[in-house]
Amino acid sequence: MQNQGYSRTAVFLHWTIAVSIFFLFISSWWMLGLPLPSKELQFRAFPFQLHKNIGITLVLLLFILLYVRFKHRPAPVESSMKPWMHKLALADHVLLYVLILATCVTGYLSSAHTKWDTVFWWVIEFPRIAAPNEDMNEFWGELHLWTAWALLALVAVHISGAVYHAFINDGIVRRMMRW
Amino acid sequence: MATSFFQSSSGSSAFGPAWASSLGVVAIVLGVFLTGLHGTEWMKQVVMVNHYSDTMEKPAADCPEEELEEEGISLAECEFMVDHIWGLGLSTPDWFPGTQMTLAAIGTLLAFLSLIIGGALVNFRPWAVPAAITVFAGLTAVDALQFAAVVNAGPIIRDIYLWNILLWLLIHLLMLTGAIAGRHVERSQ
Repeated sequence: MQNQGYSRTAVFLHWTIAVSIFFLFISSWWMLGLPLPSKELQFRAFPFQLHKNIGITLVLLLFILLYVRFKHRPAPVESSMKPWMHKLALADHVLLYVLILATCVTGYLSSAHTKWDTVFWWVIEFPRIAAPNEDMNEFWGELHLWTAWALLALVAVHISGAVYHAFINDGIVRRMMRW
Repeated sequence: MATSFFQSSSGSSAFGPAWASSLGVVAIVLGVFLTGLHGTEWMKQVVMVNHYSDTMEKPAADCPEEELEEEGISLAECEFMVDHIWGLGLSTPDWFPGTQMTLAAIGTLLAFLSLIIGGALVNFRPWAVPAAITVFAGLTAVDALQFAAVVNAGPIIRDIYLWNILLWLLIHLLMLTGAIAGRHVERSQ
């Protein structure tokens, strides 16, 4: 099925995911400056659990977004985009989805190898998938960090593309801004 | 045919005026970023309120070697993290966390609204211009109130927050002015 723009569900999910990604970046830089946890120093508990909650939710939202996007494809817009721009936009989108997923999965695997349990939104306790292991925690933590940096770079490309289309006013960005 | 922002000062196209498209996309990009910033500020204050008390003695830092290696920090940095958060707590007036939490919550809501309104400006809905003026004015007011709070919160808090807030205040003033100017252009046509 083809429409003039993305469906409202896709638009809502896209912007919710965007806000969540920025929140995760900004808040994680701050929370890593908090004191290491001890019996008396629990500053990290709430922000780390919130970080995990939003990350896991992000994966669920991403799958719903992909389903909705494939089910309701918008009609192509006539624009002056060159073929390489089309290819870059397509590659950026595919890589964005892959990196969002990779960042969330590596983050979860890093956390799964610590002594801290994951209680999704403080309600659903996730079963332990691995015993605490410092080496594995560090390995997945490093991957989490690098996929996150790569994601940030791609988000910058994605935003630059959107701003470019907004300035030339060719109707491309409008498809993701239907309320 | 699409009209670029650079082709005409008040250029309109089948998609709506170019000024609205440009202002809208700026509102969206900054709205996404600001929602994350205000959300983080709210979280910071929640953490401080729940875990810091000025009647409590500063606990000793717990810095096992493997944790230091994992975090990529030295023992001195690990100890400083406790000193830093305690110093922050000590230099925060009692009224400040509540004020910041309230303003950050309002700011998060308005920033998310500015994202929606940015989309409405790009697609040029009739209600978008007055709504943009209202929301940008609201964000400017939040910045101004945060500015006033921070100015009166002592030198440490002022050092951390002041320039950041001042920058957002100027950005929101520019966006508000842009929306008002856009309304004048639309009325004159």
